[in-house]
Order: sequence, then C-alpha cells, then structure tokens
Amino acid sequence: MNKNSVADLNIGDTATIISVGDDCVEIHCHCLRLMELGFTPGQEVTLLARTLFKDPLAVSVRGTVIALRKNEAECIKI
Amino acid sequence: MIMNEADESIILQDEKKKTFPVIALVGQPNSGKTSLFNNLTNSNYKTSNYAGTTVEYGTGKLSSQFNFSATVVDSPGIISLNPSSPDEEVTIENLFHNKKFHTPDLIIVTADSTQLSRQLFIVKQLIDCNFKVIVALTMNDMLAKKDLSINEKHLGEKLGCAVVKIDSRTSKGIESLIRHAESLLEEESILPIHTPFKPSEQDISDLYDLTESIEREVLTSSKNGIDINAINDKYFHQVGRKTDSLTQRLDKIFLHPVFGMFIFIISMGIIFTSIFWIAQPLMDLIDSGFSNLSGSVSSLLPADTWYNDLITNGLINGLGSVLIFLPQIVILLIILGILEDTGYLARAAMLIDKPLSMIGLNGRSFLPMLSGYACAIPAIMSARTIPNRRERLLTIMVIPLMSCSARLPVYALLLAYLTPPDKPWIAGFSLGALYLFSLVASALVAGLISRFKKDKEKSTFMLELPAYRKPIFKFVFKNSYYKTLSFVKGAGPTIIFVSLILWCLTFWPDIHPDISKKVSTNMSKDEITKLTGTERLNNSFAAMLGNAFEPVLKPVGWDWRIAVSLISAFAAREVFVSSMAITFSITDDSDENIQSSLLTSMREAKRFGTSEPVFTTASTIALIIYFMFAMQCLSTVAVARKETGSWKIPILQVVVYTVMAYVFALGAYHILGLAGIK
Repeated sequence: MNKNSVADLNIGDTATIISVGDDCVEIHCHCLRLMELGFTPGQEVTLLARTLFKDPLAVSVRGTVIALRKNEAECIKI
Repeated sequence: MIMNEADESIILQDEKKKTFPVIALVGQPNSGKTSLFNNLTNSNYKTSNYAGTTVEYGTGKLSSQFNFSATVVDSPGIISLNPSSPDEEVTIENLFHNKKFHTPDLIIVTADSTQLSRQLFIVKQLIDCNFKVIVALTMNDMLAKKDLSINEKHLGEKLGCAVVKIDSRTSKGIESLIRHAESLLEEESILPIHTPFKPSEQDISDLYDLTESIEREVLTSSKNGIDINAINDKYFHQVGRKTDSLTQRLDKIFLHPVFGMFIFIISMGIIFTSIFWIAQPLMDLIDSGFSNLSGSVSSLLPADTWYNDLITNGLINGLGSVLIFLPQIVILLIILGILEDTGYLARAAMLIDKPLSMIGLNGRSFLPMLSGYACAIPAIMSARTIPNRRERLLTIMVIPLMSCSARLPVYALLLAYLTPPDKPWIAGFSLGALYLFSLVASALVAGLISRFKKDKEKSTFMLELPAYRKPIFKFVFKNSYYKTLSFVKGAGPTIIFVSLILWCLTFWPDIHPDISKKVSTNMSKDEITKLTGTERLNNSFAAMLGNAFEPVLKPVGWDWRIAVSLISAFAAREVFVSSMAITFSITDDSDENIQSSLLTSMREAKRFGTSEPVFTTASTIALIIYFMFAMQCLSTVAVARKETGSWKIPILQVVVYTVMAYVFALGAYHILGLAGIK
C-alpha cells in the first residue's frame, strides 16, 4: 500500500514528516494547530494505537502522545 | 443592580491602587500548571468567568508562607498565542488585557521537561511579546527516569529568562521560584508589551528549529561521567524523544481496540454506579436531616401561620432541594479529578470519539452524558472539559434527556401501577428499556440539531494523551471542594428563588378550608391534617393553574390533579410522587403503605362528574413518556443558565422538551387508543 500520511501507518511504525497540510483545500483547516502541536516537517512520528473504530489515532511526537482524528492525521504527509 | 456594579468597579480600582503585583500562570495543557497554582495559593481560591464569556479562570492570593503578596491568576492551558477556538481567543486576549487585573506584571510558564521542544514554543512566544517570564520546569522526575536532566542555568541563558525546577508534589523549588519572581518584579520593565502576530507555517517551523536546538544543548546526563555530546549523538532520538515507557506499556492495554474498549465500558460502569450508590445514603441523610429540621422549626413557630409554612416548606425544603444534589456533585467531581490527573480521561474521550462525532458531539461529551444518568447538574458542570463551544452547548442541551435518578421514583410508581404485582420482572424490564431509550433519544436529538445547525467552527479532536501519573489527592479534593462551593453560590439562589415562587403558588390565597362536612368522627388527627392539606392545595393558585391547563391535558387523558402534580414537580421530578399523594388525598398514615394506598386511589380516581377512570393504561403510559422528555427540573435550568452564560439554552430546553413531551404523550395516547388499549 502506498503510505503517504500518518493515517496510513501500521501500529508501531515510525516515519518522518515531509509536509503538513500542503494539499488542504479548506481555509478553516487546523493544520497550523497541528504544526504548533509539534508536527513539523522533519520530525519523527510513531503510530501507537488505533481505537476500535479505527479513529482517532494515537501518534507520538516530540516526547508526547497526541490523539488525532483520522482526517487530521491525513494532513500530515510522510 | 446598576449601583452594585458601579460600587464593585470602584472597589476594584481601589484594590488596584494599593495593589499587589499580578502573576499569571501560563502553560500547555498537562504541564503541571494547576498543581503549581494549588501550591502557590492556599485556601483563597476563586473561579470566575472572563467578562461576558463562559471561559473560566482561577484567582488566588499568594500563600502567606512566602512572605510576599501577589495575586496569582490561573487561566486554561494554551498551546500557542495563536488561538484556534473562540475560547482560546478569550483566554489569550485576557492574558494581555484582563478587565480586572489588567496586564500581568509577571508570567510564570510551566514547561514539562520531558518534551522541552514543544513546551518552549509558548515560552518563546511570550518572551517575544516582552513579558517578564520565569520558566518553571515540571516533571523532572519523569526525565530522571530516562537518566536525563536539564541544565537550567544554560537554558536560562539561552532563553534570556530565569528557569527554576519545581516539584509540586514535594513543593521543592517553589520557594526559589517565588524569590526569582520577587526580584524580577522589582526590576523596571523597559520594553512595552505588544500583542503577538499570527504566525505563518514557516514561522512555526523556524520557532521549532530554535526550541529544538535549545533542547539539544541543555539536556545532560543525570549520571556522572557521560559526555553531553555522546548523549545527543547516541540517545537523542531514542531516549530524549521517547514517551514514558510505563505509559507506552499501559497504553498497549488501555488503547487496545478490544481490551481497551472492554476496560472502558467496565470502568465507566463502575463510575456510574458509584455516583449512584455511594451518593444515595448521603442523599437520604440530607433529606431526612432537612425534613427533621423543618419539622422542629415548624413546632417552634406558631402553628397555622403563613410564615411558618414559608420557612419550613418554602425556605428549608427549598434549601434542601439544592443541597440534596451535593453528594452526587462532590463524588463526580472527585472521580473526574482523579481520572483527569491520572491521564485516563483523555484516553476515554479518545475511545468514544468516533460514534459521538457522528451525532455532532465529541469524545469529551461522553462522561457528562453518562453522569446525566445520575444527575443532570454535575453532568452539565462537567461539560466544561469540552473545548469546542458548539459541542459543549449541544452536550448540555441533550443532558436533561438522560434518565436521571430523580425520574426513578416517578417511573417506579407508574410502572407499579401498570404491571401486575406478581410479575415484578416486567416492571424491571420496562425500567431498563426506559434507560436505554433515553440514550437513543438524546442521540437522535443531538443528531437532528447538528444536522440542521451547521457549524462555522470546525470540529477537532487533537488531544494530548499525557503520561500516566499518580494524582495528587490533596489537590483533587481541594479543587472539588471549591468547584462545589461555586455551584452552591451560583445556582443556589436561583433554585431557592423559584422554589419560593412555587411555594407561593401552592400556599396562597391561603384559604382555610371548611372540612367539617368531610370529617367523620372516627378520623385520626393525622388524617384530618392530610385532608386539610388536600383541600388547601385544591384551592390554591396552583390548582387554578392546573384547572387552566386542564383543556390542554384532557386530550392526553389527564385531569387537573395531574396538572397540579406536574407543576409542583417542576421543583424536582420526584416531587411528583409526594404531590400526587396530596392531590389524591392519601389518608393512610402508615409510611410503608403510601405507595399501595396511592395505587388504590389512582385506580379509584374518576374524572370530575363522570365514571371514567383517570389512570388508564394509555394515559399512564403517556405520563411516563411525558417524564422521559420534559425538562421538569428547576436546578437543571439554573445550572444550564450558569454554565452557558445565557438564558438561551435553558429556555430552549424547557420549551422544546416540554412540547416534545406533550406531543409524544398525546401521540402515544391516541395510537394506543386506536390499537384498542385504553
């Protein structure tokens, strides 16, 4: 499978962020907030868990864990 | 009112003149800010809302042990100075200019030392705005577990501000923090404070590059003899950035798709039942305490006077109806506080976010809704944890639909009337179905509202899952105490005011009924008192109101006596049962048989002037349906008013849910009639 965003990772996988929110069309997108949370290009992220409904995901970044909805995780390209 | 406000502002200005310096606490969520606030202030904690909003902040005076006077202001945790929700906007605006405290003289930023590059983000932003800043490094014990430590002197030089390591559990470093604050406050500020600009993506990247390089430089080994560069080269990515290993192991279980969900359901079940069962004996105690109090006060005052009745039935019972909820509120707040401090609350919200987001709610709506099964009041209060304003209001909107414990006595009576006494399982099964149905109903209402009222504010989740920690129980209890106090002060007056109005309706026009025709010689004194009570209520304004409502209630098969009970039940739903006992003149004086004698009178009750029974199967089912939806609770109205900051939501709840309740009851009555069930 072609993995291009954090949402496509398998549990336990680590990847490096290439860009955040590059192809987001919405103006009210929360990609700036994702970056402020620490998801900046060049950072390593690890997918730690998915819930029963496969959404949200638990992603570790910069020494902490952040739960993201799937559509939010899709903005983070790897 | 206007005078009062003017007076207050004068007092505030006076305070400002002789005034203490203002220290604001700022920090990311979970960075240990609230623990530090608890450590700095003693018992003078106060929560207020920012002017014109529902965003809450805490204020307190610096504890006297520090020999230094200052006001400490604690605001909600923020990630950056660039707001991404209306509530954050309010918080940030008030950081720069609060109507009451103006611009803070000093900002203490709490920063979790295990994730320094993230935490220094807001520190740098604040320093760039020219605030006087001190960084309080927290969670140093967690960093030590990774054999790492932070060179705070070096960090201070890099940032250009003082850095102090603190531990809120042991109060280590707090004294040093205060001394730094004291000396920094004496310094003249040179540069004017300016508001932050909105950063671009590049700005954020650049700022992070800076905080990252600082993090790299200040991390040292806590073990002697190991070279800093070696750590950076060898361990930086593996150790410095790894999340807490215990947390990772626990999350393998708690966030597991299957086991995680299982543990979630079990733990929420335990929480729900404990609110219900632990609170019950305490509530009974308060209940009997207040009825004893009102009994003894009544015997002290001259009998049969209006003020005797006002004080006992109006005031004392009104006060009792506020305080009866305290056990549930306190228990819920303590459990919530513990769950939040351990870090599980964030995980619970994550687990249930998906299904709730489909009906326009948020993972964080779950616990308030569950608490709604016990009591809507603490449930609405706990909705504060939902950051998105619209999702919070929607959660508060649907909470009154959850089948709260005050409905239980009503259901118990009506189901006992409907079901054969030799088959109690039918009643039990029906009760279970009612509980389940309330969940479905609230989901439908939430889904409908969110479908018709589209949101401008995009829903986000983005929640940090903090490392698991042992909660500081002392602070949990302290915070629960002050939150409860703020409920009593906030909602109490409204509840007492409206119970007094209800009392007036049921007492006036104070007719001393002539019951001589109805009294037979063999009646006991108690029976005569009860008969007098019935006659009195039947002649009250409430009865007139009931009569006025009768044309509306007749199509559902109810009469004015049910109307009177419904009106009095507005004080609290369970009052319906005792009010029914009065309106249907239960004259049995043995307490155990109140229900059975009430059931008998319900069976015998006939419509005025006819031989048609009032309580048919259809009209009783309609009554149950009415109670499922109707917003029959004054305290909920008061608390919804307080928590949403306006009358809009509570009025909407009263109107919409009462109309829904009536329409559904009417529909059910007629559909059952068509099906041949009378």
